[in-house]
Amino acid sequence: MMKNKFTDKKKSIDFSLGNLNLSIDLNKNIFLKELNFIKNINNEIFVIRAENKLIPKNKYKIEKVFKNTDVNFTVISIDFSQNFENDFFKGRISFVQKKKNIIDFIFQLSARWHKDIPKKVLLKFPFIINLHKNKNFLKPGDIFDGKKRIKKGVWNLHEYPPSIISDNLGIESLGFEFYDQFPWQANYNLGMSEAISSENFEKFETEVQLTQELTDIILMKIYTSSKGREKIFSLWKENTRKRYDLRKYHDSNNRWIKKNYLQHFMFAYGEEAFDYKKIQFKINQIIKEGKQFGGYDSILFWHQYPRLGLDESNQWQLYKYLPKNYKTIKKIVDICHSHNIKFFIPFKPWDIRSNESLDSHAKSLEKFIKETNIDGFFLDTMSSLPESFLKIQKKFPSFEFCSEGTPREQRQIETLTSSWDQIGDIRRNFKVDINSNFFRFLFPEHPLNLVSRWSVGSDKDALIKRAAFNGMGMVIWQDIFGCWLPFSIEQKKKIKSLKNILKKYHKYFYGDNSIPLIKTLSKKIICNEFSNSQGKQKIYSIYNFGSNKIYGRILKLPLAVMEFKQIYGKKVNIQIEKKQNTFYLLANLDANDVILVNIIFKI
Amino acid sequence: MESFLNKKIFIESNEYTYRVEHLTLEGTCSTDHGPRNVKIKNLLVDKYPVTNQQYYFFLKKTGYQPRDSQRFLEHKPNKKLFNLPVVFVSQNDAIAYAKWVGGRLPTDEEWQYIAAGPKYLDWPWGNKFNPLLCNHDGNKLEPVNTHRKGESWCGCVDMAGNCWEWTAGIHDDGNHQFALLRGGSYFYAHDHWHVGGGARKNNYHWKLQILNEGMNRAATLGFRCVYDEK
Repeated sequence: MMKNKFTDKKKSIDFSLGNLNLSIDLNKNIFLKELNFIKNINNEIFVIRAENKLIPKNKYKIEKVFKNTDVNFTVISIDFSQNFENDFFKGRISFVQKKKNIIDFIFQLSARWHKDIPKKVLLKFPFIINLHKNKNFLKPGDIFDGKKRIKKGVWNLHEYPPSIISDNLGIESLGFEFYDQFPWQANYNLGMSEAISSENFEKFETEVQLTQELTDIILMKIYTSSKGREKIFSLWKENTRKRYDLRKYHDSNNRWIKKNYLQHFMFAYGEEAFDYKKIQFKINQIIKEGKQFGGYDSILFWHQYPRLGLDESNQWQLYKYLPKNYKTIKKIVDICHSHNIKFFIPFKPWDIRSNESLDSHAKSLEKFIKETNIDGFFLDTMSSLPESFLKIQKKFPSFEFCSEGTPREQRQIETLTSSWDQIGDIRRNFKVDINSNFFRFLFPEHPLNLVSRWSVGSDKDALIKRAAFNGMGMVIWQDIFGCWLPFSIEQKKKIKSLKNILKKYHKYFYGDNSIPLIKTLSKKIICNEFSNSQGKQKIYSIYNFGSNKIYGRILKLPLAVMEFKQIYGKKVNIQIEKKQNTFYLLANLDANDVILVNIIFKI
Repeated sequence: MESFLNKKIFIESNEYTYRVEHLTLEGTCSTDHGPRNVKIKNLLVDKYPVTNQQYYFFLKKTGYQPRDSQRFLEHKPNKKLFNLPVVFVSQNDAIAYAKWVGGRLPTDEEWQYIAAGPKYLDWPWGNKFNPLLCNHDGNKLEPVNTHRKGESWCGCVDMAGNCWEWTAGIHDDGNHQFALLRGGSYFYAHDHWHVGGGARKNNYHWKLQILNEGMNRAATLGFRCVYDEK
């Protein structure tokens, strides 16, 4: 609703859209004066630079202020124009509200060029830059550790979680989301999503190609919340997911993949998998050893790489060379199935020959499924599901695909229902960070198996903690193409414990109401919350990333507590404190420890 | 096609500094790649890789049958193919032949010396790659005497390209068994994740991870023999 009116004399405009309250000063330039709880900002909304010349601030002419209020739709827009040297600029700033807590901010610009020769135009948005400088502003995945903002959340997809600014109490919050536009198109949010996550945001300018018609430059969603930043995440999640067709995830035929907590990577060429004397694969031994990890849910058989390319044999022919042809695989699959273990083989897209196609590989796969009864196809180096393979699932509805890379784009996410969450870089001193994987929280129905193939020692410890912190399964990969990097007995026990709780509390870990990086009461603690829409029971994964032991209040709980218990991690003293009808979780947490706590609330 | 007999070339004992350089993509090649001093005893070495004709003769005379014949001589050598290097032989098949002719497979160190010689040449014929001196990026195997101009310092032919060659021994790092192949082959697969094909430098070996014999044999993998001086 328009709260106040626009007058030429005042040249100022104050309005409310849903829960967004704005004040814009139009005196000399277009200034944002107030934005909800952020008062007296006085930031220019935009600055235009044409061929390295700044357009002077006092030259804008306000042409029109337009408003339209409807029951379901409110819009307010400000049209402005500008003569600069021999060029003419026209622009529009609009705020559109269709939902109470979500407002679109749209910035459009056009230019009529002298002699029709376009100029290089750069745009800066001082109000965003200055929001970014605010101490309560957190870029996506950031937290404030008391001294500085640090990154504790990661994502790797073409959706960008909102940056959030909160009041000093952390209650009133605003989230700013730039759509990620991929593939990139001229002007539209060009590079803004990358920019807002970069260290050099203050220096960021976007280049735009202007035509005579108004073109969208920025489409930013503003989320408003009076229930903290967690609510901003939920609004973004809900709004983002609305654009997706997630039916495939809810097809009951392929639901087994959701419980693929532990996948064993069976590298064929080693003592772990192969008996050199008996010339046969040690599948029973692998399954037996898998029990130390809590039992494998699937096995990925791997023998094509690094052997492919020695001669012209393709990836399917290499199965024929195994002892007794395909029958070896069939026998292994049967043994796996008798232990309720699913079986994957890999697809190597880089091996497609000039006389082959994805369709021909799909036919080979179909034949292979019929001959061996395998359950899944692992897409090596890929993060999408080719259409040719998609058709396989119509014939074999319970057949699953899992990719090495997490899908990044909408169609990939809609069709490929499982993937690895792979981290690590052998070329550098890679350290396994314990942080939140936002993809996992945005699409909890998409199971991710965490893997860092080269990690050893303390990095393997950290990897297990990272899996626990994110409530996700793992890939048990110990033979890295001929380099033996096993888990220790203690690490196996921890993975076993993790698998057991993932299984036991599946509906909460993979529930639709989980939120990463919720507010904690300690600067050195981060926490993820797992729950389903019923909300009666929640699991909190809590990580002390500081270098000192922490004892005291960790979390302020949303409801009265009925029961609580630690379900994972080194046993620590946890308590619930009630003070003036508010419940707090207290814990005695060592540095670098991850614990998981299950709380049942009174509803 | 006219057949010919493989000649033996004498290699005089010497010492040289062994050093191997290669990428393994991922995983490791857990052998000592040098530089280290290596002693080479007096040796005789086959001028060419063992041919189909020679291997055929061996089969005829000995009745050799591998314990596991999967892919054994899958190319079905006939008279037209007699002068091509024998392929689809495992290391065991190669050793059986070598024993029969009174020889053995060269060690990885010996092979490198035979190819590179005391001048540490990068390629059998010199230090600059010349695709005309080897079967480097072709469609098929060629007769072993096709690239005689590409012979090594001691007169051995086909040491780069045409077919990979087995060297002696199975290496065991405690968890894996592997053999080292030398020389590269005619086949050059298109992707960087494939085995690096084509002709390979004298100081390059490829780690073939051992599995069953069907997997240990390939269309590009043959051998030549050396003979200890009695």
